[in-house]
Amino acid sequence: MEKKILEILSEVKPGVDFEGRTDLIDAGVLASFDIISLVSELNDEFDVEISVVDLVPENFNSVEAMAKMIKRLEDED
Amino acid sequence: MNFKENIFLIAFLPIVLLLYYILPKKARWGVLLASSLIFYILSSGIFTFIMLGTSVTIYVAGLLMQKINDNFKKQKSIEGITKEEKKLLKKKATNRKKLVVLAIVIINFGLLLTLKYGNFFLGTINIVFGTAIPPLSLILPLGISFYTLQAVSYVIDVYRGTCKADKNFGRVLLFVCFFPQIIEGPIGRYDKLAGQLYEGHSFDYDKFMKGLQLMLWGLIKIMVIADRAGIFVGNVFEKIYDADGSIILLGVLLYTIQLYADFSGCMDLVKGIGQLFGIEMADNFRRPFFSTSVNEFWRRWHITLGAWLRDYIFYPISLSKFFANLSAKAKKNFGDFLAKFLPSAFALFFVWFINGLWHGAEVKYIVYGLYYYVVMMLGLLFEPLFVKITNALHISRKSKPYFVFQVIRTFLLVNLGMLIFRANTLFDAWYALCAIFSKFNGDIFATSVLSYKLHIYDFVVIAIGAVALFIVGVLQERGHHLRDEIAKKNIVIRWIIYFVALFILVIVGAYGEGYRVADFLYAQF
Repeated sequence: MEKKILEILSEVKPGVDFEGRTDLIDAGVLASFDIISLVSELNDEFDVEISVVDLVPENFNSVEAMAKMIKRLEDED
Repeated sequence: MNFKENIFLIAFLPIVLLLYYILPKKARWGVLLASSLIFYILSSGIFTFIMLGTSVTIYVAGLLMQKINDNFKKQKSIEGITKEEKKLLKKKATNRKKLVVLAIVIINFGLLLTLKYGNFFLGTINIVFGTAIPPLSLILPLGISFYTLQAVSYVIDVYRGTCKADKNFGRVLLFVCFFPQIIEGPIGRYDKLAGQLYEGHSFDYDKFMKGLQLMLWGLIKIMVIADRAGIFVGNVFEKIYDADGSIILLGVLLYTIQLYADFSGCMDLVKGIGQLFGIEMADNFRRPFFSTSVNEFWRRWHITLGAWLRDYIFYPISLSKFFANLSAKAKKNFGDFLAKFLPSAFALFFVWFINGLWHGAEVKYIVYGLYYYVVMMLGLLFEPLFVKITNALHISRKSKPYFVFQVIRTFLLVNLGMLIFRANTLFDAWYALCAIFSKFNGDIFATSVLSYKLHIYDFVVIAIGAVALFIVGVLQERGHHLRDEIAKKNIVIRWIIYFVALFILVIVGAYGEGYRVADFLYAQF
C-alpha cells in the first residue's frame, strides 16, 4: 500500500522525495490544494471515502500515516 | 478597553492574574469567565447580549446533536435490527444534525451579515434600484467577526465528531468570550482551547516570564513600529492625490510594515497574556515575509482565519459529490491537470470571496480577496510553464538566489494587495498604482517626505525596527527559539535584556503630542 501511495504522491506533487518524511503538512510540502488531488486519487485507488473529518495533519504528515488512515477506513467499511 | 491601555496593563490584567492564582484551581476558570464578561461589558455594554445569544445558540445546538447521537445509539443497539435499518437510522440522525448546523449557521452568520453588512447591502440596493432607503444605525459588538467563526466551528466540530458537546454552558461561554482573544483572535478551536481554559493552571515562573517577554515584544512591535508608521501612512492615504508616486510607494511599504507589526504584535500580546495564565493559544503568524509564494504567505499570515476557511469552506466544497463528479468529468474531457485544477479553483473562489468580504463591508475588500485568488490561480496554471523556463535557463529552483527571488516576488505581490486593502477606495488604489509608475520624482520625495508629520528620527526608528524584525525572523527561520535562549542566560544578562526592551518601549514608543493610543488595525474587521 505504501508503495502505491508513494506513486500517487509523486504524481500529485512531482519532484519531492516523500520517503521517510513525517512533516509533509507541518512543513508545508503538501498544501490544501494538493490534499484535494491526493484525496481524490486515494479514494479512487483504494475504494475508500476520505471525509472532511479525516483531513487533519496527523493523517497526511507521512506515507505511513496515510496508509494507516486508509486501513482504518477500509476496516470501517 | 484596549490591551495597550494603561488601565488594562496596570489594573485589569494584574487583578485578574492575582485572583486567578490565589483562588483554588477549580475556581480559576470562573475568574477567567467573570473577567472576560467584565471586559466585554466594558467594551460593548448592552450589546453583550448579542455575544451571549450566540453562545446560547451554539450551546443548545451542541446538546441537541448529542441527544440525536444518543438516540441513534440506543435505537441501533435494539436487538434484531437489520443492517439496512441501521443505515436508515444513521441517515436520519445525520440529516437532523445537519439541520441543527444549518440553523446555527443561518442565525449566527445572519446576525453578522445584518450588523456588519446591513448598510452595505442597503447601499447596493439603493444603487441598483434607485431607491433611497436610509442607512440603519447598526453597532458592531466587539470581536463579532472573530467570535462568530469560532462559535460556528464548535458546532461543526460537534457535528463532525471532532469534539463532544459540552454540558457546561459556562465553559462554552468562556470559549467564545475569553478576553485576550476577543478583539482580534486568534480564532481558536474547541478541542484545543476549551480544556485549557477550564483547567486550573499552577503558577509556572518560566512560562510566566516567557509570557511577559512575548507581551513586551508585541508592545514594542506595536508602539515603536506600527503606531509610528501609521502616522505617515494615514497622512499619505488621506491626501493621496497630492502625493508624489515616490511618497505613495513609501506609504505602501510602511503600511505593510505597520499592519504586520500591529497585527502580529497584538497576537504576541494575546499569546503572552494567555501564557501568564498557563494557556497556549493558536499561532496566527509564522514569519510570513519569508514565504516563497502567495499561497505560502497565506499559510503563514493570519493562520487561524486561513485554517478556518480551509476546514469549513474549502475542504467541504472540494470534497462534495458535486465537485467529485466535476473532477471526474474534467478528467475524462480535459486530462489530469485540469481535473485537479478545476474543483479546487471553484472551491478557492468561495474561500477568497469570503476572505475578502470577512474583512469588511466594502467592494474593495472583495476585490482584495479576489486579487489573491487570481494571483494564486495564475501561479498554479502557469506552474508547468515556470518549470520549463527555469529548466531551459538552467536555474536551480532549490538554489538560494532563486529562493531570494521568490521571497522578493511574494513581497511585491503582497504589497500590491496591501495597497488595495489600505486605499480609501478602489479608485484611490488604482490612482496610487498608476502614480507609483508615472509620477515618480526623487526631488519631490526629498523635499516633501518630512511633511507627513514624521520626523527623520521616526524614519530611523522604523527602519531599525524593520531590520530588527527581519533579523529575529531570520534567526527563527534557522530554528532559534529566542525566548528559550534568553531564559538560559544568567540572571544579569537576562534582566539587562528585559530592561533594555522596557527602556526601548518607554523611550521610543509612540507617545506624547501627535501620538495617541491607536486601535488595533484588525479590531475593525
